[in-house]
Amino acid sequence: MKKIIIIYLLLLITSSAFSQTEKLLVPSDLKQQTIITEPVTLHKGFFRTGLLLDYRVADRYFNNSGDKQYYYNSIWASKSAYGITLQYGITDRLQVDLISEFMNTLQETQNVEEDPATNTTSITVDKHRGIGLGDSHIALKYQIIAEKERKFSLSARLKGTFPTGAKNPRNIKSENQYDLPVGDGTYALGLNISARMIAYPYSFSGYLAYTYNFTGEKIFNTVDQIEKQFKLGNLFETGISWNIHLNDWIVLGNELNFYDEGEGQIENAPSAQMPASWAFSYEPSLIFQVYRFRLGESVKIPVLGKNVPADPLFVLMAQFIF
Amino acid sequence: MKYLSALIILILSFICTLSNAEGQNVPPARDKYQLLTMPYNQRPLTLYRGQLQARAGYKFAVRSQSFNADGDLVYLKNNGTGSVYHYYFISLRYGLTNFMEAGAETNLLRRGIREASITFVSTTLTSVDKVTVNKLTESKGLGDIFLYTSFRLPVVYKWFDLGATGGLFLPSAKYEPRKPANTITTVSLASENTSVINLHYNNTNGYGVPVCLVSAASKSSFRKFSAEVKWEMRTPVKEGKNIRWEETLSEKAFSYSDESYSYLLSNTFTFDASLHYQATGWFDINLDGSFFRTKGGWTEYWGNKYENPEKRLINIEPGFELQISPGLTIYQVAGFPLNGKNCDAPFYVFTTLSFNMFPFMR
Repeated sequence: MKKIIIIYLLLLITSSAFSQTEKLLVPSDLKQQTIITEPVTLHKGFFRTGLLLDYRVADRYFNNSGDKQYYYNSIWASKSAYGITLQYGITDRLQVDLISEFMNTLQETQNVEEDPATNTTSITVDKHRGIGLGDSHIALKYQIIAEKERKFSLSARLKGTFPTGAKNPRNIKSENQYDLPVGDGTYALGLNISARMIAYPYSFSGYLAYTYNFTGEKIFNTVDQIEKQFKLGNLFETGISWNIHLNDWIVLGNELNFYDEGEGQIENAPSAQMPASWAFSYEPSLIFQVYRFRLGESVKIPVLGKNVPADPLFVLMAQFIF
Repeated sequence: MKYLSALIILILSFICTLSNAEGQNVPPARDKYQLLTMPYNQRPLTLYRGQLQARAGYKFAVRSQSFNADGDLVYLKNNGTGSVYHYYFISLRYGLTNFMEAGAETNLLRRGIREASITFVSTTLTSVDKVTVNKLTESKGLGDIFLYTSFRLPVVYKWFDLGATGGLFLPSAKYEPRKPANTITTVSLASENTSVINLHYNNTNGYGVPVCLVSAASKSSFRKFSAEVKWEMRTPVKEGKNIRWEETLSEKAFSYSDESYSYLLSNTFTFDASLHYQATGWFDINLDGSFFRTKGGWTEYWGNKYENPEKRLINIEPGFELQISPGLTIYQVAGFPLNGKNCDAPFYVFTTLSFNMFPFMR
């Protein structure tokens, strides 16, 4: 009887011990991790595709003095970008990204000119639209310090930009009648160093990035239609973010970011068309992880800035991991 | 003794097993977590007793079109007069009983409406003078505080509910427009003088007089489907007085004077009907249709009272309600204007976060 009792007690103890065993992660579970629990690069052999929609209208801007003000003249401008991203895990620490976007920009202005002497009124409506494939990017991301429990990871991302979008105005009929360009028309190379730490249900990260823009040539004046050499200002970016799991599959993201872009040059001379600019923004986001699907929405709110749009940028994101 | 010990251990473990089994039973009805996670199709029109709800919302609207007096759609984008609208809202509600709640809410608005720019040209034999006038009417500021009480049928909600709300908008907001901030810049060249006048009017957000609100609502559910209809009327308690700024341009400088005028706000009527589908316990999708109309009211201009134009707008709003955690719920709707008269017709996205708790229930 004593033996029976001992066996019974042992069974009780071991059953408790079994209940403490961690669940083993299988590949299908790894593909359902959220932006907090997933590693900073994709696992080897994993492939993720995504769609991204950016939308912004032009209503207010930060002027050269850093004051937020409305556009006073009758103008309406909006910009939508439909991005597609393809990501592949070459190894558990190295990931390659291919990114491209389809642009849809619109700019409409109306000018009413009245001549009291002749009692004539003329109305000019300019409608510029830019539709087409924008610039494309290829990026390599490598985990320099791999992520371990309660320790931070450090990764580097090298991004090359290719001017696949039309850089010049098209269908030029007059000074005010043409289609807008949808690409920057220049190659660029950027390096991003980022660190991240997970303390479930939180994750914290920060990054530093620098993009060097190479020189290019494009048309700036639709009257002479001469391609001129130009160089966009180089770009410095930094930011911190902290994310929290609201439940097992919804993440609230928060990011503060800052960027500073140098003054651009045309024909090796500083240009007022491309002034130096900077912006400090806050970007809250909600990301839903539904099995292998990831849906997200965010809004980037410029808080401070100079020579930049002051309107919020809305972003919708959908991803699927294969 | 051995047998006795073994017997005691077996009995104790059996009791433990039983107590575990007891824990799997249906929990006592109406604990606070059950109430907090109550799906839309099982929820009454008002909050539960002791429930506190704080909501914060943001509406982003793109005013790219409007309906004119004939009900025709005018594309403001084509005139370059489209604009955006930022609307923030907060509210606090508390369930006094299971069939009565009280609440307060207010809002913050920011928008700027541009008018078509006009350039006046004067040509002589030796020079060209151009004066461009841009006009922007900005509205921003806190809205009035709205206090209200809602009642519903004093029965447990099963499939039908009826409710009524009465409230008052207190004229707490600064409603008088601030002094305009007009500017003028002039560039003179040898044969051309160009001046740009930016007229910038600074309006506020608020009725300026107390406004009553009464509404009635009904809700019915059938399995995972629910339908809710709501009728609402807002009417001013009395006539109001406000000021209108006038500007004079002299020697490239603006001077301003204000002029008082009377007004009576229009009555507004809103009718909402929504269909809901409770996809799971934490996710409800809905389709809402709303009809908005104003009637009556007048505004004084130069001593005469002019009737306010009647406005009408029909909107359709697909949306969802998603329960993130027992205390936190997110609502989002997108609004599409279908028909209207004398009214802006913006497309909008309205996102609301709702935080719920029972502060006095353990």
